[in-house]
Amino acid sequence: MPVFRWGQNWDAFHDLEREVDRLLSSVNFTFQGIRLGRQYPAVNLYEQDEEFLLTAELPGIRTEDLELTIAGGILTIKGKRTDPDDVPEERFRRHERFRGNWQRSLSLPERVQEDKLSAQFNNGILKIRLPKAEELRTRQIPVVEGNE
Amino acid sequence: MAGEIIQGANEESHGAARAGDAHAHGLVFTPPIDIYETDEGLVLHADLPGVSVDSLELQVQDNKLTLFGQVEPSVGANAEVLHQEYQVGNFLRSFILSDDVDHGRISAKLNNGVLKVFLPKPPKTEPRRIEVDGD
Repeated sequence: MPVFRWGQNWDAFHDLEREVDRLLSSVNFTFQGIRLGRQYPAVNLYEQDEEFLLTAELPGIRTEDLELTIAGGILTIKGKRTDPDDVPEERFRRHERFRGNWQRSLSLPERVQEDKLSAQFNNGILKIRLPKAEELRTRQIPVVEGNE
Repeated sequence: MAGEIIQGANEESHGAARAGDAHAHGLVFTPPIDIYETDEGLVLHADLPGVSVDSLELQVQDNKLTLFGQVEPSVGANAEVLHQEYQVGNFLRSFILSDDVDHGRISAKLNNGVLKVFLPKPPKTEPRRIEVDGD
């Protein structure tokens, strides 16, 4: 008979683990729009040539409900999603989509020309173009032939 | 029971989305949905950011409603990812419709990346009196 019963305890732990796994597998973790535990909206940041591109998934947001500000290298996007409008809660059979007010502030990685920022909103994807500040741009340095 | 009219039952795409598996055609996600009831029938909303009218397929076969939305990348192929919180992929989800949905009158709209599907109830049939003749 083992004095130290780690082995058995470990088995019990595995049973518990399996049980938790079984419980979790029955939960629907596929809410891509909500991304549990993450801030809303989810954003991606890209670097392309002379600009940074920030994209966010914002399906169902109306352009007039979207507010975009930038100051001191901090970009803030905020808005609200109200649809479906005026449907009482008891009428819902499924309710997986995010609803309500949201706001996110993002610090930009490098200096951008804050006055040259532009944004497009297409099919629920917000795309913000952030042109890099002049000092970050790649400059061609002309090389002249020296005659010395 | 009213809750049985439509049942989300997408075995294939749920599995793919949960694992985040790379599909043959790239990533496939299960879009979040809302379903609510109106006097006329059911309304289904699905978040499909990045899907346009041209890249959306919505079909009813037998009693299964399937939506598949293809997403075009919103940045060029030469863009370098600095920070990523969401992955770009296509959307797939299907539902089993009951007989309480008039399959022939299903209609849909896509606006700002949200698909709205109207699933009307079949028209009520008026009671018809059957004359009984005697011999």
